[in-house]
Amino acid sequence: MRGSWPALASGLRRVALPVLGLIVWEAAARSGLVSPLIAPSITRIGYQLWLLVTQPASLVEVWYSVARGLGGFALAAVVGVALGVVMGRSATAAACFGPILSGTYPIPKIALFPIFIYLFGIGSLSKVLLVFLECLYPIVITTQAGGRAVSRVLVWSAANMGASRARVVWRVVVPATAPFIFAGFRIAMPIAMVVVIITEMISSADGLGYLVMYSLASFKTDRMLAIVIVIALVGVALDRAVVRLRNRLVFWERLESYYAE
Amino acid sequence: MAGRLPARLMAPALLIVLLAFWQILTRFDHPDFVLSPLEIARHVVEALRSGELLPHVGASLARALPGFVMGSSIGVVLGLLAGVARGLDQLLSPVVFLTYPVPKIVFLPIVMLWVGIGDVSKVAVIALACFYPCFINAYYGARGTPTIMVWSGLNMGARQWQIFRKVVVPSALPLVFAGLRVSLALSFILLFSTEMINARSGLGFLIRQSESSLRFDLMYVAIVAVAVLGYVADRLLLLIRRRALAWQEAASR
Repeated sequence: MRGSWPALASGLRRVALPVLGLIVWEAAARSGLVSPLIAPSITRIGYQLWLLVTQPASLVEVWYSVARGLGGFALAAVVGVALGVVMGRSATAAACFGPILSGTYPIPKIALFPIFIYLFGIGSLSKVLLVFLECLYPIVITTQAGGRAVSRVLVWSAANMGASRARVVWRVVVPATAPFIFAGFRIAMPIAMVVVIITEMISSADGLGYLVMYSLASFKTDRMLAIVIVIALVGVALDRAVVRLRNRLVFWERLESYYAE
Repeated sequence: MAGRLPARLMAPALLIVLLAFWQILTRFDHPDFVLSPLEIARHVVEALRSGELLPHVGASLARALPGFVMGSSIGVVLGLLAGVARGLDQLLSPVVFLTYPVPKIVFLPIVMLWVGIGDVSKVAVIALACFYPCFINAYYGARGTPTIMVWSGLNMGARQWQIFRKVVVPSALPLVFAGLRVSLALSFILLFSTEMINARSGLGFLIRQSESSLRFDLMYVAIVAVAVLGYVADRLLLLIRRRALAWQEAASR
């Protein structure tokens, strides 16, 4: 049992910061030095969290945010993968769209939100389309890079065996690009949630972003922090879901940590 | 293939066609909030002349730059150190990777509660968001240092600090710049959203205010300014990268 002490030490180090943070927080809340409006105790946040996840009314708000995020993300995934594959395989398409995409990539699309509200209304549509626009870029860029990197030998052998051009794209290029496509999805998913929460904070009457601003405005700090925790959990869960899906579909190349490919 | 456009002209041609299409569409009946490209250009010039725009640009930059510099420098330094020191790695990495997918904007209300709704809360949230991509990229950059280079350095009698300075940092630099680029884009997104949520100055505020007072000309001017700022900042960073990574480009040529 000589190896157990270093293992224990490294295990302790892994949880040191979160535990320390929680202890400091609880001590500050209990000591009475900090107003509960600024740092409510963990038990109160936990109680609000319990209320949030057990009441159907608040679960509906979670659903609104997730549905908007996933809707825009799905749209961006379909359009982005199609555009990326075409740009990766055709020099003409790359010359057409490439400069426009890379020129508008650093522009914060969130600035267009007011115009989107005028064009598509203040409801879900403007938010979903903004999510789509923000998610499109990382997906197109990574897919294009992957499409370009497909081994020429694979394409040639498929063509040689009589596959049509569409068939080569569908059966060779898309599977070979899949790891890149999922790398793009992994970048786009957190962006989707960020944009949903931001747009709901700016103008909305439902969704998690709205709930955060509403509880802040009514000084229900414990509730606000509970919602922040819910948002965080949703973000982590969606990211895990993308990784799970990736490992299932791209079974020949496992993804362990964030950049492990 | 005679009559075919050379590849370099294709994108500008597409852009001009789109703008012309937009310009022609606005000749027909259209709602107030749609302005033609020429009108927008005229308003941009006017706003620059009347001084309506520049104070807001200044206010926005005064928030974005400190946030970006603080968040990304802390992220790069800690990421590089966590990439080489196991103790720090075990202390920091689980927390960073677990909280990475959390939308950082949700911390805005919390920070607002602690330090008030002034500029400090905006700078803090921007710094927090910029920290993550920089940390993660610097971390993997440092960890990806070829072992053989570290060994040769050690073999030639370099001390730990020298190895870090002369071997780890240069080999991590390409990924560090990739992280900086993501952080820069993020800092602008966060800047305009925090300004849209609450501010009394800045381009995000200008967009919201002119939108709600139906001054669509000013709204488009502010959006154009946002676009130009984001674009110019990105190009500047790429320019710096080309300088800093000149050795890499030369080697890959």
